[in-house]
Amino acid sequence: MTDIQQAPLAQELRDYIAETFLYMHPEVDLKDDDQFLELGVIDSLGFVELVDEVQTRYGITVDDVEITEENFGSIVALVAFIEAKRAA
Amino acid sequence: MCGLAGIVRADRGSEVAEGALLRMARSIRHRGPDGYGLARGDGAGFVSTRLAIFDIPGGWQPMHDAERSSLLVYNGEVYNHPELRAALNRDGVATTTTSDTEVVLRLLERDGLATLDRLNGQFAFAWWQPRERRLTLVRDRFGVRPLHWALQGDGTIVFGSEAKALFASGEVAATPDLGGIDDVFTTWGPRAPRSPFAGVQQLPPGGLLVWEDGQIVAQRTWWEPAYEQDGQQPEDLAELLEDSVRLRLRADVPVGTYLSGGLDSSLITALAQRVSDHELRTFSVAFHDQHYDERGYQEQVAQTLGTRHHVVEVGPREIADAFPDVVWHAETPMIRTAPVPLSLLAQETRRQGITVVATGEGADELYWGYDLFKETALRTLHRQDPARAEALLDEIYPYVEGSAARRGPAWKRFFFEAGSDADPLFSHQTRIAATAAVKAFYTPETTAALAADDTQQRLRDSLPQAFERWSPLERAAYLEVTTLMSPYLLAAQGDRVAMAHGVEGRFPFLDHRVFAHSVRLAPERKLDGLREKAALRDLAASVLPAEIAQRTKQPYRSPEVAPFFGDHAPAWVQERLSDAALRDVGIFDPVRVGGLLRRCRAGKATGFREGMALVGVLSTQLWHERYCASADYPEETAAPRVSIDLSTAPTT
Repeated sequence: MTDIQQAPLAQELRDYIAETFLYMHPEVDLKDDDQFLELGVIDSLGFVELVDEVQTRYGITVDDVEITEENFGSIVALVAFIEAKRAA
Repeated sequence: MCGLAGIVRADRGSEVAEGALLRMARSIRHRGPDGYGLARGDGAGFVSTRLAIFDIPGGWQPMHDAERSSLLVYNGEVYNHPELRAALNRDGVATTTTSDTEVVLRLLERDGLATLDRLNGQFAFAWWQPRERRLTLVRDRFGVRPLHWALQGDGTIVFGSEAKALFASGEVAATPDLGGIDDVFTTWGPRAPRSPFAGVQQLPPGGLLVWEDGQIVAQRTWWEPAYEQDGQQPEDLAELLEDSVRLRLRADVPVGTYLSGGLDSSLITALAQRVSDHELRTFSVAFHDQHYDERGYQEQVAQTLGTRHHVVEVGPREIADAFPDVVWHAETPMIRTAPVPLSLLAQETRRQGITVVATGEGADELYWGYDLFKETALRTLHRQDPARAEALLDEIYPYVEGSAARRGPAWKRFFFEAGSDADPLFSHQTRIAATAAVKAFYTPETTAALAADDTQQRLRDSLPQAFERWSPLERAAYLEVTTLMSPYLLAAQGDRVAMAHGVEGRFPFLDHRVFAHSVRLAPERKLDGLREKAALRDLAASVLPAEIAQRTKQPYRSPEVAPFFGDHAPAWVQERLSDAALRDVGIFDPVRVGGLLRRCRAGKATGFREGMALVGVLSTQLWHERYCASADYPEETAAPRVSIDLSTAPTT
């Protein structure tokens, strides 16, 4: 977890999630491995926005089969997914 | 046309103050700029404000019979009044005017409420029978014309076309009804009998209410949209719609049409041009922002049909400047700015000397034009053939930003997992889910208060027994008529913004005979695969350019965030959205709203849900300030055209 917490990518994603979704849920203290959907921080329409943002911001192409909670469901998942796509 | 209001007390000896009636009259003079009339006495008082359309010298109200045993204040039009008058005259019932008001009054006196089935039109009225001390309130089939009422603790009933007339009476206080407001953030409009005001009820579309001596003795619907097949073949649509247009061009003043550039209003304009005996005037909204603009199509139709065309061009500044007045006239929070350009259009229409306009409203509900019907079809198909349904989903919503590929599976999940088909509200769960974004900004107190007043459950409980026998698309149509069209499109986006400027909208598709036609029509003549309004397109092909007749529907929208931020933004936006103002009203949470405002100011609030949330919060704040935090209702100062003393009426 230490690597993720310090990575600029993780911080960028935290900021994006906070600014775009968390402001509607001031009661939530989101941890990096908390699940967005489970906590109600992001709903399925929000998921559309998140996927769109990841593709645009990081210049990666996401296949249909990759849009899963395993890849997009938390900060930890997002960092791992984006780094894997960049390395590919 | 017109506005109406009144106060009737259980105790006939208790006076209705003239000042109260004058304040009520003033509050709804915009509905009747040509003059007003009063009737007062015997524990009752009535107000009529008039927009003169039929029998300009003779149609003043309140109208009563010779014995003053029956009195009517009436708002609207009965288009078949010449035929009904002729039938009355043949039966030996004399009439002295050419107004529709007198026809309705004579029919009520002779046939009672059985009259209603014979009326083809859009109306609301209050019928007073002083001998019986009976007041009957009635609203037209689709609720084109509004009617509000409140029953006081002492049995007094206060009513008016608009809720502001009730507050102007000084007898009803304006306080929020969170359940009515929550309707807006669920299905876009406050659904009768609720209103956004506690204790103020809307008479439902097709509804009637009878009050006698301080009590409501009857309350029922006299007409409801129903989708049972009656075994009859549908009539010829061309003939029927042309007849409906012909009836709706009846007026003693010139009539125009609103032209959006889409199929429905273009078709109505083409038919109006065919049956009109004068140069037809058309009126359109154009936007600075090309994303919303349809002027190319509008001009094409106007040129093809040879109408005298007028355009009102609207930008962010015009929307922001007019927004507070639109909220005042609409009397409700709203989630879209779309009523604003229509208010500006009505203003220009009036300025051009036109007070009556026909529009294409109703076609999408009757002939399944909205994307919601396609969604419902695909979501139903998804149960049997998920792959096919998912492939087809990309063919709808082409105007939503982002390519279909980029929307991807999350987009599909939103549609195909939005509610069970066992839920009566299945067809509307995607809209309900998207609109609920506004509710994320409620204070915890608002959310807690609404826990025991679930708007979706209220809606389920209100559905007719036959609902479960209808097809998924028929259910969707019923819900679209009763949750979107009547409470929002015909109200905040219809009657209120047109009558704000003394302009009357007329809706040929909302002739009850056209509704019956649409029910009888085979489903595939409405939605054929994903091609909407097949029957209307075929008809349009004979009277309009192919490009218009075959054009895919573009939803009418108006900019939502841009008008309220940036250099041109009015100062009241910041004031109404300040922490202090939000805390004072208490419906929305300042912390959550603060986050939204930061995104709006940074230009990042580009999603449609954030647009809805901003307009929802801002309109609620304005609505509260104009209604709940103020009670300044001046008296009408002009002399009435009619003043009737009811205390001299026979009482036994």
